[in-house]
Amino acid sequence: MANTESLENVVLELRRGVIVLAALSQLGSPEYGYSLLKKLADLGLEVDQGTLYPLLRRLETQGLLESVWKLEEARPRRYYVISAEGKKLLPKMKKEWAGIVSVMDKMLS
Amino acid sequence: MNLIDRYVAEVGKHLLLVKGRKDIENELRSTLEDMLEERAQAAGKPADETMQMEMLKEYGEPHKVAETYNPNPYLIGPRIFPFFMFILKIVVAAVTLGLTIATGIQIMSASPMTAIDLLSTIGKGLLNIVSACIAAFGNLALVFALIERYAPASEFKMDEGKEWDPASLKKEPEPDDVKIWEPMLAIVFTFIALSIFNFNPQLIGIYYLDGNEWHVLPLLSEAFFRWLPLMNIAWVAEIVLNGMLLRSGKWTAGTRLLSIGTKLFQIFILAMLISGPSILAFTPASLTTGGIDDPEAVNILMLLAGKGMKFILGIAIFGSVVEIIKSVYKMMTQKL
Repeated sequence: MANTESLENVVLELRRGVIVLAALSQLGSPEYGYSLLKKLADLGLEVDQGTLYPLLRRLETQGLLESVWKLEEARPRRYYVISAEGKKLLPKMKKEWAGIVSVMDKMLS
Repeated sequence: MNLIDRYVAEVGKHLLLVKGRKDIENELRSTLEDMLEERAQAAGKPADETMQMEMLKEYGEPHKVAETYNPNPYLIGPRIFPFFMFILKIVVAAVTLGLTIATGIQIMSASPMTAIDLLSTIGKGLLNIVSACIAAFGNLALVFALIERYAPASEFKMDEGKEWDPASLKKEPEPDDVKIWEPMLAIVFTFIALSIFNFNPQLIGIYYLDGNEWHVLPLLSEAFFRWLPLMNIAWVAEIVLNGMLLRSGKWTAGTRLLSIGTKLFQIFILAMLISGPSILAFTPASLTTGGIDDPEAVNILMLLAGKGMKFILGIAIFGSVVEIIKSVYKMMTQKL
């Protein structure tokens, strides 16, 4: 029981670490929160709403995302898209990620 | 108002202090409506209340959802808390010292005063100190809470520009270090002693109730008060010494010498009090007036009081000698 909980916590931490990169990489075209959540899930990354929505707001505050409200099907939706600043940062983050993967591969092989 | 609206409103109640609350509420509503629509499509029937209930239960308790939007849930966060504690200590020390001196001045200026007046003045003084400290704490907490809320981290950084130096870590307390409360207490009590012995000596006595009226039997005789000018010098020296300790925060050769000198002077006065005529003001006759009729009891009481007073003065001399030995020892072992 304790082992299962520990594993869950570690997996959660690992996922949390990659959500920023995952979200930025998928926001080349505008997405609203729920559509991004589903897009990430379809690609295999299950993210909790309680984690994703506050993260999107934080990334917007940091200037890495931009958002705009649109009225669709009589329902207002907030669309997020990567900003110019985010676009500049994304390749560097990808490079950093590749480095981490390479190092961890070496460690775990 | 449907269930989703009620849920969103409940989350909003927990977001009162979070910027962009309306935006968060609108986004949450939009997400929940999307989720509900998807569930209805999957179930092949229109969304109903049971479906909404299930979805909201899965989404989580409103206060927990609100928590995820509040990255800084502190009234006073770790960024400014050390500064808050630093200012609080200074303010509380200043308020306590200021009001203690004010109470002392009040006692001196109200001479002569009765024991009840004295107790009442001290009691009011203590209450003033407690309430002033609580008010100072509240006001300071309010100011820091506002800073926490309205000064963004980027505009209010505590020492973040400076490079941290490991040498700034606190050293272990040295044997010569002075705890700040010790000289403060010594100053306060010496000040009170000076006030009472010089301006309200009639308060020093044995109090007894006769019928409904309180009476006081003076405790100390003329033989004691003859030495008061020298005692005042010793007390003033004690205040000066503690003031120096408060300022420097540690014992130095100079303060140790002053302490030894003061203690020697106190021993001289105490020795004079022991060897001279009785410093007790009451006599067998005054005890009888006080209500003790049995002559044998009066004699025993007089004997016990005389011996007891000499014992107390002897203990005081012993204490001063121990302090002198300690000071000499520390002077000899003090790091140069």
